[in-house]
Amino acid sequence: MALKLLSDAEKVFILHGVKDDFRCDGRTRQEYRPIEVETEIVSNASGSARVRLANTDILVGVKTEIDTPSPTKPNEGKLEFFVDCSANATPAFEGRGGEELATEISNTLSKAYLCETVFDLQSLCILPGQQCWKLYVDILILECGGNLFDGVSLAVKSAIYNTKVPRIASATIDGGVVDLQLSDDPYDFQTLDVSSAPVLVTLTKIGERCVVDPTAEEEACSLVSVVLAVTEKGRCVTTLVRGEGSLHEDTLIDMLKVGTSLGIEMNKALKAALKLEQSKGENKERFGFLK
Amino acid sequence: MFAMPVDTKRIQGPEVSVPYDQFLAQQSQQSNEEAIGKERIDGRKSDELREIFLKTAVLSQAKGSAYIEMNNTKVICSVFDPREIPRKSEFSVNGELFCEFKYAPFSCRRKRGHQQDSEEKEMSAYLKRALEPAVCRHEFPNLQVDVYALVLENDGSALAAAITCAGLALADASIPMFDLVVAVQMGISITGKKFLDPTLEEEAYCFTLSGSDEKGSFGRVTAAFLPSLEQFSQVVQDGSMVTETYVEVLKELAHASKDAYRLSQECLLKAVQTSKEIKNAEQKN
Repeated sequence: MALKLLSDAEKVFILHGVKDDFRCDGRTRQEYRPIEVETEIVSNASGSARVRLANTDILVGVKTEIDTPSPTKPNEGKLEFFVDCSANATPAFEGRGGEELATEISNTLSKAYLCETVFDLQSLCILPGQQCWKLYVDILILECGGNLFDGVSLAVKSAIYNTKVPRIASATIDGGVVDLQLSDDPYDFQTLDVSSAPVLVTLTKIGERCVVDPTAEEEACSLVSVVLAVTEKGRCVTTLVRGEGSLHEDTLIDMLKVGTSLGIEMNKALKAALKLEQSKGENKERFGFLK
Repeated sequence: MFAMPVDTKRIQGPEVSVPYDQFLAQQSQQSNEEAIGKERIDGRKSDELREIFLKTAVLSQAKGSAYIEMNNTKVICSVFDPREIPRKSEFSVNGELFCEFKYAPFSCRRKRGHQQDSEEKEMSAYLKRALEPAVCRHEFPNLQVDVYALVLENDGSALAAAITCAGLALADASIPMFDLVVAVQMGISITGKKFLDPTLEEEAYCFTLSGSDEKGSFGRVTAAFLPSLEQFSQVVQDGSMVTETYVEVLKELAHASKDAYRLSQECLLKAVQTSKEIKNAEQKN
């Protein structure tokens, strides 16, 4: 991640703050910064969402396209993640600088969404073995203020929740050629079930303690962090240990327990927020980027 | 199945192909699954590792190398001298590890490409993070050590084998290290059956959910361990697990890695003894 340059004194200050459970911005160790979610923000995308986690800013757009299913999974649609760490976020991402981080995030996401109990890819199937929907989930990192993984996963889940897949009126095979008829009504669409989709929870070890939702400065003080993909039922679907450090067994187990319980809460909070936004319907107040 | 840059020196296959095993009778697959569900095909206990063969200094051109064989999983690993980091201008206080994980084209059921694909790149990243905490990187600032792991035959737990093997190869290359690295994999099926050091078939079995309620845990965990420091350097998990099961699996993995650690130590000791004997013999002559 884009490392901030910190002096030793600053690092010690952060370290002591974490030790005393009183971080630089006044939070406790297990407290998130305020999170803002807004869906349907890009008009040309099938689904979109923007998440602001303090000064981390993430925009996700989902595009749907028709594709042929892979021969090994004829009954399933496809889901593809692409992360773009734009140089707007930090100059370190310029050129190919952000590539490593981008592939790391997209790999983690595709691993987390791969499991069939997490996301039902079969709902994206149109004609088994012939045609399916492919979702392109494009993630744009606009500002990088720490804790990218959590922010990205929240934005992705909201964008998929918001995705409208056109309804197929009829699908027939005529002489080996597939004939698809899409519904004429633009408001006739299906939505996707994200109730068991995971969010990522990053636990960063600073000194002897671990914190959630680190700022960029706090990330610079840490050697190792654990990223957990947790579903609403508290199941862990992917684990990733990041950084150049290592962890003791007890620390890791503690982190797992804390991470899962936080993951359950995050999932619930996101669900409530998305429901609230949806209930406001078309007349909701739009904020966009003008805030 | 995927487009590769055309290499005119190779015989080109058709653009689209479908693996043949998809057309195999479903029945044989099912009966196979049932057999795995009862007991392990090679007669191991659920917490028993396969027999491991380890050897260091198998390649003469590399600074250090190692070979690991766990029945049908075979990995060879080489480590090269520290060299300047290519295309880097600023000074780095810590040396860097460059890790490359590659399946040989003939190592899996499906033919692998001769270039690294995205899965192999992901594995390389895991390998790097598993090894990094064990290496005294401050001893070679501004330099990079290359580690290449090549899977010759994959019958499950390839990443775990590669990590253990790379740890030994680093030691064989006399790269200063805090500890050896050993890795073990464990699979758990939806029926609650655990498979330590699973074979490829057992790995696949851990992901078959047919007809079961989704309340149980299933999936795979690979943990890389620094045994004398009692630290996990890398944990790779997939599937879906409740915390209690996950914690249980981690504890069992930490326990199992002690066996693998003993073997690695023994292997290194033997290598040192042989080299000492050779030196003594030379001196006498």
